[in-house]
Amino acid sequence: MQRNATYVLGFAAIVCVVCAVVVSSAAVVLKDRQDANLAAYREQNVLEAAGFSEPGQPLSGDELTAAAARLTPVVIDLDTGDLNATVDVATFDQRRASTDPATSRSVDANQARIVRIPNQALVYELRDDAGNLDGVVLPIEGKGLWSTLYGFVALEADLTTIRGLTYFEQKETAGLGGEVDNPRWKALWPGRRAFDETGATAIEVLKGAAGTVEEAPYEVDGLSGATITSRGVTYMLQFWLGDEGFGPYLDRLREETI
Amino acid sequence: MANSRDTLLDPLFNNNPIALQVLGICSALAVTTKMEVALVMSIAVIAVLTLSNFFISMMRQWIPANIRIIVQLTVIASLVIVTDQVLKAYFYDIARQMTVFIGLIITNCIIMGRAEAFAMQNGPWESIVDGIGNGLGYSAVLMLTAFVRELFGSGRVFGVPVMVTTNDGGWYVANNLMVLSPGAFFIIGMLIWALRAWKRDQVEAE
Amino acid sequence: MRFLRKILDDQEKKFTNGGPLERFYALFEAQDTFLFTPGETTRTTSHVRDAIDMKRLMSTVVVALLGCVYMAMYNTGYQANLAISRGAAALDNWQTTAFQSLGFAFDPSDLLACIVHGALYYLPVLIVTLAVGGAWEALFAIVRGHEINEGFLVTWMLFPLVLPPAIPLWQVALGISFGVVIGKEIFGGTGKNIFNPALMSRAFLFFAYPVFISGDRVWIAAQTTTDGVSGATWLARAAEGGQAVFEPGISWWDAFMGYMPGSMGETSALACLVGAAVLLITGIGSWRVMTGVVLGSVVMSMVLNAVGSTTNPFFDVPFYWHFVLGGWAFGAVFMATDPVSSAHTNTGRWIYGFLIGVFAIIIRVVNPAYPEGMMLAILLMNVFAATIDYYVVRANIKRRSARYAT
Repeated sequence: MQRNATYVLGFAAIVCVVCAVVVSSAAVVLKDRQDANLAAYREQNVLEAAGFSEPGQPLSGDELTAAAARLTPVVIDLDTGDLNATVDVATFDQRRASTDPATSRSVDANQARIVRIPNQALVYELRDDAGNLDGVVLPIEGKGLWSTLYGFVALEADLTTIRGLTYFEQKETAGLGGEVDNPRWKALWPGRRAFDETGATAIEVLKGAAGTVEEAPYEVDGLSGATITSRGVTYMLQFWLGDEGFGPYLDRLREETI
Repeated sequence: MANSRDTLLDPLFNNNPIALQVLGICSALAVTTKMEVALVMSIAVIAVLTLSNFFISMMRQWIPANIRIIVQLTVIASLVIVTDQVLKAYFYDIARQMTVFIGLIITNCIIMGRAEAFAMQNGPWESIVDGIGNGLGYSAVLMLTAFVRELFGSGRVFGVPVMVTTNDGGWYVANNLMVLSPGAFFIIGMLIWALRAWKRDQVEAE
Repeated sequence: MRFLRKILDDQEKKFTNGGPLERFYALFEAQDTFLFTPGETTRTTSHVRDAIDMKRLMSTVVVALLGCVYMAMYNTGYQANLAISRGAAALDNWQTTAFQSLGFAFDPSDLLACIVHGALYYLPVLIVTLAVGGAWEALFAIVRGHEINEGFLVTWMLFPLVLPPAIPLWQVALGISFGVVIGKEIFGGTGKNIFNPALMSRAFLFFAYPVFISGDRVWIAAQTTTDGVSGATWLARAAEGGQAVFEPGISWWDAFMGYMPGSMGETSALACLVGAAVLLITGIGSWRVMTGVVLGSVVMSMVLNAVGSTTNPFFDVPFYWHFVLGGWAFGAVFMATDPVSSAHTNTGRWIYGFLIGVFAIIIRVVNPAYPEGMMLAILLMNVFAATIDYYVVRANIKRRSARYAT
């Protein structure tokens, strides 16, 4: 069926307009819900790292509000560890900040294979009813075998004992490196110590079994068959808990609590 | 109505889009590690396929022949984006696991194939039936593959542990090949083998 | 002999056309031709490449493998005894019970104790391979109505040799099933397979159950997690620490002899060299493929040595170490030369072998997830063998047609 050019163009235009309207109205109508999902998912991971919920067991609405009330998100300057009041916590996107040259800087070669870090980071401070510091939840990221792992590590009020560790995004080999998601493995973390007596980062994922918290306070079982992912976890913890990461921030908190 | 019935049931075994026409393989590899995800993918594909067939069929008298492929593509792409948005809004967990593969329904050859081969020549009602039928044929292979992969790869069916794996302290040693994409190739290959051993007429002439 | 012949002749009626057991002719034929030279001759136009038949050819390969089989028993036992005498616990399984109840001690200097201990691990794997592989082979022969082909004998000999000692037997059964069905029968049986079935079996286990066939706990039949006794292969250690780990860890000579942990039959480069000699003298193994692999590995290692890397010390390991570590020697001699899955043209064999050598070294050195590249390199080149042949033949046709002036 041959048609003239005007008809073809007109038809194409109508199809485009109709489709565009359908697609954009769907996007607009559903946006709030999607954003809420994303935020809830992130929050769920923060809460899990902080030890409020069992891995994989979402909290009920009331528990969620209660837990969220104790968590304060704050944006800090990584190099000084001080609060940064100029950045809006609600809209701060750390992932984007770490790729934008204006808000990030490159770091020296490190074992965690982190190339750029943001100038600011979004952390969660956990406070009890009296307002005293009860712990912190810190975002971490680093390379495993195939992918970059994104997660949270939470520390107790002493800023040394680990409350928990979660990864919310990773593409490691399922069944091997992907077992960083396994609740049984994550349950090994609470109670281990991130720093030794001298204050140096000491936590390490072993190759093989480590033992109980009392036997091996600084060590965690390796993921069997996933040496490189296990090592990646060690390196990224050492990086982010070290001087280039949250070291200055943790030092500041320590001084404040004393 | 016998005709509609054939249109609906033929793609299940006799003319299965994956097993006979070997279309839509890429998504079949990617989303079949878990049955839950495969089910959502199946529903998404059935929805997109049925709707795209319907709309294309409605418009078939008016679509200019020289831009028909791009019109089909626009319609399909819009449907896929809407589906993706809906999943992200209402089934966030599953949408997250499916990552880009919902978006990649656009490139699923079955949908373009049915639009071009069927909906352009048939009325809306037959096109809907054809869409559902082909969607079901695709889903059947997807679900079967996902069943094998989830059962042997992680000892679960629909996320419910059937055989407790050693990683979770049980006895079943999970077969990791099933979790990797090549595992799906082997399973689909064996399905095709079994299907053609059963229905000899599907074997290609050498 | 005559007695045996008579039994077979009596039975033959039942299996040939119209007999009650016609379906099972393949089983009878296998017995008959294993013991006696077949009585039939080719009836159609024949295509003879060599007077030697499949059965003799395969038997020669089996003979060439004997050195590796000996090492599979001796070294497996030796490594286990050595580790145990150094403080590792013996595995809690029936092999240990049987070994002790026979009155042996875990003494690495006692030759017999080592061989017996190793045999307790090697033989069950071999038997399971034979039984399960044989069952599949017979099943397909009966269903498809052809005779059982002897190609399987080699597959069955090779497969146990490339497995770690403590591999669970059910995995052996699963692996060989995969190798026979997916690696071979799916393509139509022996001679039509594009992959080496023994390597397919191993690759299946490698990807399906990596914990049991990689890492550092599986290569010695003892519990090597105890402090002081490492069970890691030297290949894996070199992947982490580069050349520095050999000094004072292991001498090149020991590695060459095969006194180190690893897959049962592939630790000894010497045994592979002896096998290579047998294959080359009898003309069964292709010297072009073997030389190609050697050249490819040498070239690639030297390139990597020259390139160097600050983060990956494995770049600096020289080629002569690559030759004695992991499954390189075994793969080059017995796997790459598989007549069915390798290239068939002489030029093609050079290219095929050379690229195996190149890829094996690249995968070993560059990919952090797979310290052993030989298996993957050979399987990869299996895929391309036919393509290589195609272009070699095309080039030949082109060259010849160019001789005719038009």
